[in-house]
Amino acid sequence: MAVALALFTAMQLNAQAPPAGRGGGFTGRGYPVYDPAAVDRGQKAFVSACGFCHGANAKGGESGPDLLRSVLVLDDDNGERIGPVILNGRADKGMPKFAFSQAQISDIAAFLHNGIRAASLHGVYPIIDIVTGDPKAGQAYFNGVGKCNSCHSVAGDLKGIGSKYDPVTLQGRFLMPRTAGLGGLETAGRAAAQIMVKVSVPSGQSFQGSLQHLDDFNVALIDSSGEYHSFARQGDTPLVETHDPLQAHLDMLRKYTDADMHNLTAYLVTLK
Amino acid sequence: MNRQLLPIAFILTQLALVAQGLDPALLTRPPTDAWPTHNGDYSGRRFSTLSRINQSNVKHMQLAWVYRAVAGNTPGSTVGGEGAEVPESGIAAAASGPGSTTIKSTPLMVNGILYFTMPDNVWAVDARSGRQLWHYFWKTRGGIHIGNRGVGMYGNWLYFETPDDYLVSLDARTGRERWHIEIADVKQEYFSTPAPIIIGTHVMVGTGGDSLDVPGFLESRDPETGALQWKWWSEPLKKGDPGSQTWPDDYAMRHGGGMTWLPGTYDPELHLYYIGTGNPNPVETGRSRKGDNLWTCSIVALNVDTGKLVWYFQSSPHDTHDWDAAQTPVLIDGEFNRQPRKMLAQANRNGYLFLLDRTNGKNLATSPMIETMNWSLGIDAKGQPIPNPAKEATIDGVLVSPNSGGATNWPSPSFDPETGLFYVTTSETFSVFYLTDTDPHPEGYGAVQRGVGSYGGTLRAIDYKTGKTVWLHHYPSGAGAAGILTTAGKLLFTGDSSQHLIAYDPANGKILWHAGLGANVSNGPETYVLDERQYLVVGAGDSLYAFTVEE
Repeated sequence: MAVALALFTAMQLNAQAPPAGRGGGFTGRGYPVYDPAAVDRGQKAFVSACGFCHGANAKGGESGPDLLRSVLVLDDDNGERIGPVILNGRADKGMPKFAFSQAQISDIAAFLHNGIRAASLHGVYPIIDIVTGDPKAGQAYFNGVGKCNSCHSVAGDLKGIGSKYDPVTLQGRFLMPRTAGLGGLETAGRAAAQIMVKVSVPSGQSFQGSLQHLDDFNVALIDSSGEYHSFARQGDTPLVETHDPLQAHLDMLRKYTDADMHNLTAYLVTLK
Repeated sequence: MNRQLLPIAFILTQLALVAQGLDPALLTRPPTDAWPTHNGDYSGRRFSTLSRINQSNVKHMQLAWVYRAVAGNTPGSTVGGEGAEVPESGIAAAASGPGSTTIKSTPLMVNGILYFTMPDNVWAVDARSGRQLWHYFWKTRGGIHIGNRGVGMYGNWLYFETPDDYLVSLDARTGRERWHIEIADVKQEYFSTPAPIIIGTHVMVGTGGDSLDVPGFLESRDPETGALQWKWWSEPLKKGDPGSQTWPDDYAMRHGGGMTWLPGTYDPELHLYYIGTGNPNPVETGRSRKGDNLWTCSIVALNVDTGKLVWYFQSSPHDTHDWDAAQTPVLIDGEFNRQPRKMLAQANRNGYLFLLDRTNGKNLATSPMIETMNWSLGIDAKGQPIPNPAKEATIDGVLVSPNSGGATNWPSPSFDPETGLFYVTTSETFSVFYLTDTDPHPEGYGAVQRGVGSYGGTLRAIDYKTGKTVWLHHYPSGAGAAGILTTAGKLLFTGDSSQHLIAYDPANGKILWHAGLGANVSNGPETYVLDERQYLVVGAGDSLYAFTVEE
């Protein structure tokens, strides 16, 4: 819990950019969600008429500029500024006229704005392909240097893990299970991942349970009977000892090479 | 009789002048009965010479008042702006964003009045009582509402920037608007967060941007009319210009980023304005912008009168991890190698502490601040880190520390000339960066980042001469986003991530006092004296808290 809190706090610090991770991302332009059918029609019309000069993805081509970074396009809302350029052309720049209908212009505008939106929503860019490693090397790492087999078994807790999760989720879970979210875990798995704490008060009595909160001035836990206990802290009094069962995953972040990460991913996805 | 009256009249006139606005002389000496500019003074060190609150009485520090700031079109507010009408008591629909209702600004305190902001909102509050004097609300057209760093002041006039990229000037006495001027195009996803810095008759105005690959700039504007005096671009304007050899083509330069989203610092003797620039664009892949990409991720020294670049130091050549260099360039006058030097220190988002000679930008020392950092091949002869190309985003991902939020970020550091230590809060994080845009001309970020773990956050005291961490305090649940203040009372104030405001001994990190607030400290703490009483003021969430010691 404490580590998860730490992470989220660190993410909030990402001042200029929206928070890290997937599923984040916001934009100040207030983009509407464009009708996929209109985007599709607009793309077809654009590629056939405009793609030769502006590129099929509208990012610029042999003779036409990048329209996704065009100030005129950015200032447009629904074709009202793009339309006149399409209909009248730009003779001075060698752009011919195109006799599109208002509906077609609106579709082309939807295609262009959707492209701008896609680049802008950087919290949700789709990951392309992370299964590039060598599964054999991953297996050797799992049973060797990585010491994964000291806690996990491919015939036991990890049986069928490659069918249970898609590769991106699976990689997130082994890099840092707590960060990846424990929601998908069964109750026993969640309990096993909890940070445990022992608080020893000066009288000699001690309290143990799952850590609920820890800062420099307070510590709180829930014991095995479900009772909540909190203590004020002053320096080392009371004595607070924590045990994070996922500490090994955190420590591995300083040890993995990128190849280890890729190979381990490739191995785990084979565990169908 | 006349002879006797004249001097009195003269004194009264002088008093009236002082009472009417900000005396510019206040800006050039350490603040005691005022906090007249974003960092307290031009140096950015956030050190106060006040010692009425000190180690012997800090344990008696108590709450003087709380002011809760309600953003939006509240009853009695003065309303301006170019956006759609906002119903009374409402906030604009376009104003959504994580920083809309958080005090990230450091209030100015001038003549007993505090002036502070949230995005689209400015308040004047009595610094003795916490009572509101006026509120100004700006109807926004949109823009990313992530935060606002506060106001600048010139005489009776205030200046602030809006998420939809206007510079707005208010009358500090009434909160009424004098004028507003558009400084950038919100539709290009510029959004403006800095506190303007006033130097003589120059209002320094910067801006921010994100994923639409726009160029950064810094402007100087006339305090009376808002007219543009000069504009400095973060990239060369065309091939052949100095710096253009670090870009492949004009297109990459004109879409190269380099935002000026935090206030800079100023040396009156050298007449130089120092500011850190933002990351290059596209943000997380460098395929279409081969080269060092000047002057992104750089500390630059600009002539205040002309805006001409005098020197630069690039902290992250060819950055691909969003590690802008916007963090405060802190001015240090002290010794280096037993010689008195005019220096500049910056704790950078990329994980290094840089120490420069601020007369010429030459590097004196470069030191890693966090132990987990893994992206650099070392330091070159100029003191610049050498990025490891293998740690640039790939399709299948690379594991990088720190994450894109950086080892540190906008919360203000502090330099205490009495301990000789530089204080900064760091985060020890890991992310995997995945390349997502394989086009030869990627746009926006071009890659996505996934946070995978953190060793938490740490308050560090660093010897600027050696770069060595002299003491550190590891936060049990990670660092917050609080700035740091040090004082001659031998106190260091900052906040944690569990809603505490904490006083430390700056010599050794011992905790001396704390108070639980209603939210995490969200700005840089400040201090001032009024009526022989010292106050400590801090923003936490939507509220300002003032503490004092009864003497």
